[in-house]
Amino acid sequence: MRKHVFGTIVLLMGLYATPAAAQLGPVNGDAEAGAQLYYDHGCYACHGFSGYGRKDLNNTGSPWLTNEEIFRAFLRARADVAPLLPSTDMPNYPANSLSDAMVRDIYAYVRSMPDNRPETADVPALRNILEAAEQRQYKP
Amino acid sequence: MSKDQSDHSRDDITPKIAPKVDRRSFLKGAATGAAALAVNPGAQAQEPSAYQASFTAPSYQQLQRDTGMVAPPTSGRTVVRPGSDLMVQALKDMGIEFVASNNGSSFEGIQESIANYGSPPNHMPEYITALHEESSVDMANGYAKAEGRPMAAMLHGTLGIQHASMSIFQAYHTGTPMILIVGRDESFIQAHTADDMAAMCRSFTKWDAQPKTLPECIDALHEAYRQAVTPPTGPTVIVIDMELQKEEARDFVVPPFRPAEIGGVDHATARDIAKALFDASNPRLNTGMFRTPEGGQAAVQLAELIGASTSTTATGGPMGFPQRHPLCGPGADTTNDYVLGLETDSPNISLQRPAVTSLTAKRDVMGIGFGSLREDYVPSPPGSEPTPQEQNQKQSQGTVLTVDAEASIPLIIAELSKLMTPAKLREIDERKASHARANREAFLTDLRAAVEEKKRGWDLSPVSTARIYAELWPLIMNGDWCLASPSNFSGAHHRELWEHNKPYSFLGSQGAGGMGYGLGASAGAALAARGRGRFVVNIQCDGDFNYAPGALWTACHHELPMLSIMHNNRAWHQEFMFIQYLAGVRGRGTDRGHIGTVLRDPFIDYSKIAQGYGMASEGPIEDPTLLAAALKRGVESVKNGKPYLIDVLTQPR
Ligand SMILES: Cc1ncc(C[n+]2csc(CCOP(=O)(O)OP(=O)(O)O)c2C)c(N)n1
Ligand SMILES: [Mg+2]
Repeated sequence: MRKHVFGTIVLLMGLYATPAAAQLGPVNGDAEAGAQLYYDHGCYACHGFSGYGRKDLNNTGSPWLTNEEIFRAFLRARADVAPLLPSTDMPNYPANSLSDAMVRDIYAYVRSMPDNRPETADVPALRNILEAAEQRQYKP
Repeated sequence: MSKDQSDHSRDDITPKIAPKVDRRSFLKGAATGAAALAVNPGAQAQEPSAYQASFTAPSYQQLQRDTGMVAPPTSGRTVVRPGSDLMVQALKDMGIEFVASNNGSSFEGIQESIANYGSPPNHMPEYITALHEESSVDMANGYAKAEGRPMAAMLHGTLGIQHASMSIFQAYHTGTPMILIVGRDESFIQAHTADDMAAMCRSFTKWDAQPKTLPECIDALHEAYRQAVTPPTGPTVIVIDMELQKEEARDFVVPPFRPAEIGGVDHATARDIAKALFDASNPRLNTGMFRTPEGGQAAVQLAELIGASTSTTATGGPMGFPQRHPLCGPGADTTNDYVLGLETDSPNISLQRPAVTSLTAKRDVMGIGFGSLREDYVPSPPGSEPTPQEQNQKQSQGTVLTVDAEASIPLIIAELSKLMTPAKLREIDERKASHARANREAFLTDLRAAVEEKKRGWDLSPVSTARIYAELWPLIMNGDWCLASPSNFSGAHHRELWEHNKPYSFLGSQGAGGMGYGLGASAGAALAARGRGRFVVNIQCDGDFNYAPGALWTACHHELPMLSIMHNNRAWHQEFMFIQYLAGVRGRGTDRGHIGTVLRDPFIDYSKIAQGYGMASEGPIEDPTLLAAALKRGVESVKNGKPYLIDVLTQPR
């Protein structure tokens, strides 16, 4: 079974090797329902309330987000004490924890997350930090 | 000076009670209740419940005590020169600025002397009122980390030690010098006293004494200071009996304080090191955390004299080499033919003062074992292969001389100066100039990359932790600031965005990862800051806050320049992540990880708590566009010596 899942992931990833926006799979779930599930199942613990956190989700080009199948296989691949994938960071989400339909909704929510990185020039504090560091002389 | 030890007008000391409260009838009620008990001690036990019946009724004396009816003894000895005056004089002589304490009758002699000794009455040491012994010791920890020298905390017998124990444990882990004075009164409540009081914390203190006479006590106070500041530095304990505090000292005079003598390398070694630095075509200094601010200054002198590029730990903790010194950084050429380690490793030779690790074999009477502090600590399980990291560490480690670097540097400088020639000085000047150019560029390159990274989720709500650090920095960068709180849980963004040039720029982590440290340590750092034109920044995690929030009151009471900004993710988020992960691994559902790990239902209002303690505050701020203005108000407030708290709802990490 584990080999089977792993094989599926490798296959799917091969198909979608270059994570360009054009190649992202369709979104079929309900993003709003997904937002609630994202909160209830603690995804925000590491990915932040808006997709920025210890591990970003927003427009990262992560191959695990290529399409629903890969995303689901990724969540399921850790369905044991000894995870199939060599990761100790990501908890597993077996079907008895998140059904396929729930995974679809969470996928929809994750895909809807805004990519929020304003231009440095538009952020006074950041501009200020850079300018000051360039100008300032060391004083004991 | 605090309001406590300044002169009061009558108005100041009259309790300010809202006019509507009928104070007289309030007091009358209390008095009648107490009087009833006094007349008929059995009154309460007339109809015992089943629960009460299983206990013997309290004695008349116990009831008196429990209801606060015990009056101070009428036969208290009146003495002309109480022993405790001399103890305060000894603390003064040693330059102890503050004694943080939660009051307890076992040290009432000393407390009264701190208030009244001398004419005009004493101002130093100042009595700092703490609401919990954990806070007292955390304050001493924050103060000493910032100043590189001890203040004192005073603890009430067995109880005080136990309340303080985690803080002492953490100070031991970081080797923070502090003097813990423990009151002991055999004639008072027996549960508060013990034959060997210090035994309760011996395993995680450096030294202790329980003197028998007044002269011994003064000697022990002096020794407690010397022991605390002499490597291995750490907390020391002196248990002081009530008898000694109240004893008539007659003509006993406090002997002058003899400071600790901390030795450096011997002359031959200093000469060898100087020669190696001189002969190297591209020498480097690896620097760690020095003992006091003088260590960092001495390292700067040495780096400038020889033109060595230098590493720093200033973004990780106190007493480091100034981060933006022109020589600090990778340097123009990173192939170094001689590296001198100063309080950190080097592939050639390093000088590292002994740490408390060297004490545990002798002092760990409880057999705690200490995990990472044991001298024989082996990071990997016995028998397993060393990790590549451990192997690297071994390889990169040259000769380690267990000696204080700070005390050694002047000797090396003296030897080096003797070797200098005009030609060498020209070579060094050129090297310094090219290092300075390269280090500046390296810093700016890293900063530009960091700024790009810190923009993630800039405008989203709740507020990103990076935005707090980024928006705060322009407001404080030209001031004399000290970041006193640990920063790992709030992203530690200062490490990449701020410039750590002072010995107290950043005070580092808790020591042993114990929560509840942030507020107390920040208040202690603010004690050091007050009166020195400095202010303290405390980025305060919500979980950590709730262990001992009373330090907020202390900050108000003593007018400490402390700006607290909540990293309020409404959770003990670290633990939430652990439970969440385990629930996933066990495959039993992932929607109950919040049980016991989050602070919701109800949410906690930190701004209101602060106000309740008397601190100006605002929040919770959820909208990131409102943050900068709030920070500005906060910085203004602390620059004027008034503590301030801003509650910010943040992203979890
Ligand atoms: C005295 C103590 N109790 C419990 C712990 C276990 N612990 C480690 S991290 C943590 C949560 C900290 O919460 P908070 O300070 O709000 O930081 P966050 O992880 O939420 O950013 C706890 C309870 C500890 N380290 N120390
Ligand atoms: Mg928290």
